Parts: sequence; C-alpha cells; structure tokens
Amino acid sequence: MDAFSPLYDLAGLVYGPLFMRRAAVALALMCLSTSAAGVLVVNRRLAFFPDAVGHSIFAGVALALMLSLDVQATVLGLSVAIGLAIVFLSRNSHLASDTVIGLVFSGAVALGLALVSREPQASAGLSRFFLGDVLTVDDPQILALAVLDLLSLAFLLLMTNRLTLASIAPRNGGGAWPDYLFGAYLALVVAISVQAVGVLLVTALLIAPAATGRVLSVSHCGMFWAALAAGSLAGQIGLWVSFQPAVNAAAGATVVLANVVIFALAVALRRFFPVR
Amino acid sequence: MPGPPAAAPLPGPDPVPSRHHGHAGDGGPDPAPAGPIVRLRGVSVTLGQFQALRGVSAKVPLGSQTVIIGPNGAGKSTLVQTILGLIPFQGEISFLPRRPRFGYVPQRLDFDRHMPLTVTEFLALGLTTRPLWLGVSRRVRRMALGGLEEVMAADLAGKPLGALSGGESQRVLLAAALMSRPEVLVLDEPATGVDINGEQLMCELLDGFKKDYTIIMVSHDLPTAKAHGDWVICLNRRVVAQGPPDKVFTPKILAATFGLHQGHDLWPPRVG
Repeated sequence: MDAFSPLYDLAGLVYGPLFMRRAAVALALMCLSTSAAGVLVVNRRLAFFPDAVGHSIFAGVALALMLSLDVQATVLGLSVAIGLAIVFLSRNSHLASDTVIGLVFSGAVALGLALVSREPQASAGLSRFFLGDVLTVDDPQILALAVLDLLSLAFLLLMTNRLTLASIAPRNGGGAWPDYLFGAYLALVVAISVQAVGVLLVTALLIAPAATGRVLSVSHCGMFWAALAAGSLAGQIGLWVSFQPAVNAAAGATVVLANVVIFALAVALRRFFPVR
Repeated sequence: MPGPPAAAPLPGPDPVPSRHHGHAGDGGPDPAPAGPIVRLRGVSVTLGQFQALRGVSAKVPLGSQTVIIGPNGAGKSTLVQTILGLIPFQGEISFLPRRPRFGYVPQRLDFDRHMPLTVTEFLALGLTTRPLWLGVSRRVRRMALGGLEEVMAADLAGKPLGALSGGESQRVLLAAALMSRPEVLVLDEPATGVDINGEQLMCELLDGFKKDYTIIMVSHDLPTAKAHGDWVICLNRRVVAQGPPDKVFTPKILAATFGLHQGHDLWPPRVG
C-alpha cells in the first residue's frame, strides 16, 4: 500500500522482513488509539468493558459463518451492539456497571460457544481471534487501524471534556448520547484491535498505558501523553524483543509484557519520587 | 411589582422585598422589580415510591439571601435541584422576569479522587471546548486563576482536584459556579464537611457576594441561617413557614420544622 510506504521504509531501518515492518506499523497505529481511548476507560472505571466487547467476537464470527454474512461487518456490528447494550443496561438498571459488564461478557461468550458448537467448522476460524497475530496483519487491516486513529482523533477532540465532566459530576445533565457514543466508539477500537492482538490481550493494550499515565501524572493532559508514550514504547519494544532469536516469543504476548513492565517501572519511580 | 394575590397557601408576612433587610444601600443591578425571582406553587416531587416534597409553595425574593432550613431528609437538596431543573416535578415554578442563570455549588463532588485532574483543568472544562489533552491555553489559565482569586484559592490552581480538603473543594466549586456568570447562586450545605477555618472563610466570601447575587442556600444549621439569611424557608417535605429570620425563628415554627412534636397543632402555620 503506497500511502504507508514511508512508514514501512522507517520500520525497514530496524526490520528486514516485510511482515515485521507491517507488524511495527500496525502496532504503532494501534497503540495510539488503544492508549488514548484507555485514558477514558480507566478514568471512567470501565476496565472490563473491552473484555466483554472483545469476547463477543466469537459470536460475531460464528454468526457470520452461519448466516453467510461478511465476517468483518458482522463482527464490527455485533461489537457495537454489545457496547451499546452495556451502556443501556448500566443506565437503565440499578446494577453497578461491573455487574452489567460481567453479565454481558458471559452472555457474549456463551452465545459464541453455543453457535460454534452447532457449526464445528467455524471453530477453525476462531483461534486466530483468540490469540491474534500481529505478524499476519495485511494492508487492509493496517488501513483500518489508520482510519481508527482518525476516528479516535475526532472523537477525543469533541468528547474528552464532556466525558471527563460527566465522570466528575454525573448529574450535570447533558443527556445520554455521550455515553452511547463512547460505548460505540470503544467497541470499534476493541473490535479492530482484537484482530491483531487477540481477545485475551486487547484489554491490556487499553488499560496498561493509561494506568502508567495515571501513576505518572496529576493532570489529565499529563496522563494522556504519558499513556500515549508508554503504549507506543511498549508496542515497539515488545515487538523488537519478540523478534530476537534468543526470545522468539509470540509478538502480542511480548507487547503486553512490555506494557506491564513499563507500568511496574512507573510505580517504582513514583515510590521513590512521589508527585503529591 | 406586587406579588400575586394570596394564591399561595402560605401567607408570608408581606411582599416587601427582603433586600431591604440587613444591609442598606446595596448596589443591586436594578432596584425596581422587587418581586420574587423564583416562585413555587404546589410543587410536589416523588422519587421512586417516596414523596420528597409535598405541595411546596414558596418564593425567593430578588436579591435576597434565602436560606432553606430543615432536618436531614426534609427535601432541601431535592428542592434546590428542582428549582435548578434537574428533577421532574408536579406543580408550578415561575421565574421573574425570566429564568435566571444559576450557579450551583453542590454539597460535594462524588468522583474518583485519584483521577488525574488539576483544579485549573477542572475549571477549564466550564470555560473552553478545547480538549484537556491539548493543554489549557494561557487565556483560560488566566481566567481560571482570576476565578480562584475571587474565592481566595489562587494557591490551589495546580493541585489535583481529588487532593483538596472539604473547604478547599467547596471554594473551587464556588469559583466554578461564579465563572458561569450566574444571577442566582445556589449553595447546598456550604458548611458541611468543612473545618472551622473553611467555614469562616466561606462565610466571609458569601457576605462579600451578597450584594451581587441572589443567593439560595441550603442548611440544617440554624446559626448559619441566622447569620446569612434575610429570607428563610423552613422545610420538612412541606413548607412549614417562610419569612424574614426574626419572624420565622420562633420556638413553635422551629419545633414544627425540626419535628420535635410534628407540629400538627401548628398547621396551618401562621407567620408574623
């Protein structure tokens, strides 16, 4: 894809094989969106939201195979529907959001299992989503990640202040639509990222950078940029480490480990140099 | 402007504008319309199964410092939130000459205290649409600092919002309310959860603001009401009495309000 060739050339300074260059570019693009969205996820205490949406991907894939629908469109559509359902249930029941998320999470997994058990041939296509593989991303997926970054930029430009205010003064009015928009946006971030890193690890890419940012700063602005830096750094360090012959481990897992290590370093740093 | 005839079930002493109590020669913006800025007629609020307010009829005189007093659970916070338009109600609430701009200082902020957000960023949320992650512009920073100076809190600008004491966060909330250029300032229990110095400072601040704003203050504390109020509404789900403090603070009315003996023998109340 020509538009990305400068990025591939840049990645070529470190990596020879094209699939590694693609993986580096994909992680760079993806970590921007997941880290930035993660700031709102962590501040609004929705850490398990990405998990619930991510697990609905099995149901999405199985449903698409059963009904002969387009897999991508079904997965994205079902993810957004699940995200909106969580927001709806959180707002319209007297249950705490973690209860609602746990319920929807289980429901989504059960639906996926039920569908797959009816269609054994579907299970072959599922393992790819379970663990994901950033080394097999193709150009359309990279394009999707670039579009996701633009979407994130637009969403965060328009909605950051409103959602931050809502998490301080929930009774401030303003209606329900910001919550629903956030649910839909977050579902898209998860559904697109899941295809590269898998259901098991996508939560870490949202939560860990934001957690690091939160440990390191007392302002929203500081947290945002620290999260972006931590997430991007962990993405590239993780990929590089996984590629070393002595390590030779799954890239997605190494990236998540790098995120966790950076978080631990941030916590250690703050123990010795407290900010407040 | 004369108050409407005795439609209200509660005969206030008379519709004399209460701004002439207490302080003389205040520089209010317009001395002519001396009627109520807020008038409630038969306002009832039901929260779930619970009737929080029953047929509340009361007024808030323009330029007054109206204090709503009553025991815990009397519906004081519900009443101000109803006036602010945050809670659906039955009955009628009218504003004169039109709905004023309200500045609301809630009892407290209920949020995650470890969320990274500085006081300046918090105030910026009400001043600009520029997202916080692009930083707070110098202009907004100056406005926020100016607002904090008004409430003697300039030193809090860079502090995390979650690290403030009760009195400090109350002043920050007051600064935020004042920045919305309100005509009516609404304070919910400004003395709750505040140490004695904070309370003193808040009292001085409110004293300074009273010539510029109509103030509606919720309190369960009689000394506060006496010190600040020139119009008092005694509430215990219904209005027990309303009027200037010297007319309202009688043992009978206070007993009825605070429920020492339910006050059946005092109903309907007679004030003045």
